[in-house]
Amino acid sequence: MAVRSTVVCIICLQIKVLIGLSAMPVNNRHNTMNEERELTDALDRYGRRILFKEKLARAEAMVDMDAMREQARLLAQATDAPIQPIGRVRNYWRTHRPTFAVAAAVAIMTTFATLVFVKYYRNANQQQEQYSMLRRDVQAIKKSQNRILDGLSVRRKSLITVNPGQVAGSSFMLTPDGYLVTNNHIVQGADSVYVQSQSGDVYKARVVYTNRGYDLAILSVADDSTFRPAKSLPYGFDPRPSDLGERVFTLGFPRDEIVYGEGYLSSGTGYRNDSTAYQVAISVNPGNSGGPLLDAQGNVVGIISGKQVSTEGASFAIKTDYLYRAIEAIPNDSLKGGPIKLNRRTSLNRLPRTQQIKRVQQNVFMVKVFKHKE
Amino acid sequence: MRETIRLQWTDNDLLEGLANGSDAALNQLYKRFFPTVLHLIQSNNGNEDDAKDIFQEALVVLYEHVQAGTFTLNAQLKTYLYSVSRRLWLKQLARRGRYSALAPDDLNETDAPVDDDMAEHELRDQQFEHMGASLDKLGEPCRTLLEDFYIRHLSMQDITEKFGYTNADNAKTQKYKCLMRLKRLFFSNM
Repeated sequence: MAVRSTVVCIICLQIKVLIGLSAMPVNNRHNTMNEERELTDALDRYGRRILFKEKLARAEAMVDMDAMREQARLLAQATDAPIQPIGRVRNYWRTHRPTFAVAAAVAIMTTFATLVFVKYYRNANQQQEQYSMLRRDVQAIKKSQNRILDGLSVRRKSLITVNPGQVAGSSFMLTPDGYLVTNNHIVQGADSVYVQSQSGDVYKARVVYTNRGYDLAILSVADDSTFRPAKSLPYGFDPRPSDLGERVFTLGFPRDEIVYGEGYLSSGTGYRNDSTAYQVAISVNPGNSGGPLLDAQGNVVGIISGKQVSTEGASFAIKTDYLYRAIEAIPNDSLKGGPIKLNRRTSLNRLPRTQQIKRVQQNVFMVKVFKHKE
Repeated sequence: MRETIRLQWTDNDLLEGLANGSDAALNQLYKRFFPTVLHLIQSNNGNEDDAKDIFQEALVVLYEHVQAGTFTLNAQLKTYLYSVSRRLWLKQLARRGRYSALAPDDLNETDAPVDDDMAEHELRDQQFEHMGASLDKLGEPCRTLLEDFYIRHLSMQDITEKFGYTNADNAKTQKYKCLMRLKRLFFSNM
């Protein structure tokens, strides 16, 4: 059985081999034919497409493009108008989203950079302003410090100091024979008082009388041997109250040189409604105290006594009326050679201001006060 | 003659005309469907020339499909052409480096299922390109000879005269040699 089957198998094999041998060229030929057909098919399809495209090109050339455009425009308007714009916007968004993102980032960056820069710039400017303000403050502080120092030195000289000091003020002639008037606060506590004229003559003065209430002091230089009495005084003393708005002027010694100042009567009462004084809008400084306040005609209407530091242009002058009252109050035995009689009539009323000043300044003195003790 | 007097073309008429290579059918296709495609392309970053190219290609897709004899229209012809054009334009845009300029859900309701057709077209396109490239490599006069015979369907006699061969057999031999060379080129790079 086994042998037979083997023989059969061998035969089978032989047949198979035979078949295989004969089949090989057939397959090859078949393949070649297939390829050829495939190729011609491909060529055919290629050709068809080429021809069709040529046809299409001809058909396209015949198309009335204007009509097409018109129809497309109508489509855009009518049919798709409700959908298309949204789609278009969305499409636009989708297409250019990265660009938008970058643009937005740049915009945000720019905005904030600008904001920061502007803020910084403004801050810098503010700092500058603050700085300049500070400087102004510093200057003001310096000024006020100076003022305090000045005040201190004045007070030290006038009131506090133990050391021999000097207080300077102004004073002017009451009578041709050597009586002068000044402020009580200048000569208060003085050991010796000297008056110095504009021309430089110095006279030793005696304090005849002081009135603390009116802040007035009467001096006399008649005892000084070098003093030459004048014939008369150019100005008069007007006890009547002056009107508001009266143009007034003063001469005094805020420094070693005589200084002229001009202003107007701004109030009938003085500091804290002090009825003995006027308020005068005039620029005066320490040293002006005791100076005469004259009206345009050359009448002495007051004696400069002080000013309000905190208020601009508020100076004060004691009314002449109170000068009269003070003089009246002088005890007789304090006066040598009779009572003080004040000249009531001015001789300056027709003169121009410069002439008035020339006449008046001869009778205005600097008061120098020496103290050893408080 | 029959076509020129036809006033109302149905979709089937158009398809039939397309399959037969009727110029009137082509004109009609342009007249009726090109504006839609023009509008589509123009509203999606394209110009008129783009629209013409896309519409041509869409018609090629339709034509080759009809020629293959496997085409069954399961939507309106207008919808079919629109969908194909849209797909082609999407591809074109992608090739130009702009992504998804067309919203995918843009016109879903008017979209026809054209995936298979597109895949098939892709294949045919590749073959077409390959054949074109092979013919280019073949060089003259083989290329013209083969084109005249297989595409223009000129007779052997015409070709003999055109190319100046002594007789038709000679031309036939020449044609065969050319075809063999083309075969090698065509299959070698496949």
